[in-house]
Amino acid sequence: MELDVRGEMCPYPAMKTTAALKKLPAGEPLHVLTDHAPALSTVPWEGAKQGYLSNIVVLGQGEWRIELERASGKVDQRALLGEIARRANELTAG
Amino acid sequence: MQAGAVRRTPAAPWININTLTVAGALVAIVAFAVYAGRHEFNLGAYWLIGIAFGVILQRSRLCFAGAFRDLVLLGDGRLMRAILVGLGVATIGFSLLEARFVPDPSFGVLPPGAHIQTVGWATVTGGLVFGIGMVLAGGCVTGTLWRMGEGYLNSWVAMGGILVGLWFGTRTWSWWYDHDISQRSAIWLPGEIGMAPAILAVLGSLALLYLVVLWWEMRTPHLPAAPRPAEPPVFTVREYLQRGWGKVFGSGAWPYLVGAIALGTLNVFAYALKQPLGVTGEIGAWSDRIADGVFSAGALPLKGADKLAGCTATEGAWWITNRTGLMLGIPMGAFLASVLASEFRVRWSRQASRYPQVLAGGVFMGYGALIGVGCTIGAFFSSIPSLALSGWVFAFSLLGGAFIGTQIIRRLP
Repeated sequence: MELDVRGEMCPYPAMKTTAALKKLPAGEPLHVLTDHAPALSTVPWEGAKQGYLSNIVVLGQGEWRIELERASGKVDQRALLGEIARRANELTAG
Repeated sequence: MQAGAVRRTPAAPWININTLTVAGALVAIVAFAVYAGRHEFNLGAYWLIGIAFGVILQRSRLCFAGAFRDLVLLGDGRLMRAILVGLGVATIGFSLLEARFVPDPSFGVLPPGAHIQTVGWATVTGGLVFGIGMVLAGGCVTGTLWRMGEGYLNSWVAMGGILVGLWFGTRTWSWWYDHDISQRSAIWLPGEIGMAPAILAVLGSLALLYLVVLWWEMRTPHLPAAPRPAEPPVFTVREYLQRGWGKVFGSGAWPYLVGAIALGTLNVFAYALKQPLGVTGEIGAWSDRIADGVFSAGALPLKGADKLAGCTATEGAWWITNRTGLMLGIPMGAFLASVLASEFRVRWSRQASRYPQVLAGGVFMGYGALIGVGCTIGAFFSSIPSLALSGWVFAFSLLGGAFIGTQIIRRLP
């Protein structure tokens, strides 16, 4: 499933991700399309809270696709949080 | 799939476009500064302060609306804690200036230029309405200005709403003035309890609030500050400068704390020049000039506004005043910084219902800013450091408004 939240600012990318993940059919990934840099940490964090791991693809200047996929085992939220924050920091360099 | 995995698409040749845009923006900035400086030194200076304001906000993403909203919506206090530190920095600078302007506070004279507004129902109502509006619009007035420069179409729509709200405010100002504002006094804390006790009370309250916000934040799992990666050593001047440039304009956003301290310092500079940071008075004046020019429906001057401090909309002989430089500098600075960081992009919401929502949010903010005499900057970030009571009343009203706002957006699509 794809969620296009381009043009949306905080808190919408994260809020809409949460809602979309709740409706997501089991086993399917969610692709979130965004052009709002703060979403690079808020969206993966919403995913982590619901047991999803994330991958970020840089599509172009100021545009990203966040790919959320259900983790196979249990998610270590603490470890993931540090990683999400570090990655968002690295990515916003553009 | 690992959380750390990052795939990049091949680099597109936008570097050249960016370089040209940066060069163009710099020429425009310098040209206006030189032109304005010849007209009046302060205008050129406020233009450059506005540019710095925009650069700081864009680079650190210091969102005042987010600070209040996320506290309520997500239990996230990182932005608010940074802003509290910025307020502390500004308070120290403002206090020193005020102590110099008014050596004897008990005399009943208020320091010139300081944002010491009256405290009454207009302050509370203004804060509440503004708080609702900034959550609906996705940013406060200053946040809207800065994101206009970053290319968010939503923010341009919100600015339209702000102009309408301010105009509507000027039409109802007399009612508020007659029924509330004229009967209230501007309370300057040093005038009540003395200079040193006032400074200590403000700094102590900020520190206490910092602890309360931290406690509130730690109740839920939170996103930590990103650990800074270990850096390889530098050997040459060139490498050193390149790394420094990358830290300021390249490698990710500044930490919130850096942005807040920079903004607090900039506010002290602005006050040292003439008056602290503030934008809504000027946007209000523009709103009135537009209304006057297009519909012959101008409402300025506002009743009693000459006796009030802070961001009151006042008539200027010309469209361009000192604070115009500040107002226009924010989007220009944010534009420059976002292009430098390769982040500029025209962004528009794909959801049609968002446009009426941010327009309504803008109207609310405009109205709240007019009757509350200021926004998150003029009536909060410049008012608390001025050692005024009004800043505190406005701040807690903003928090209440943000709470109502989050209840509304939870129910909207």
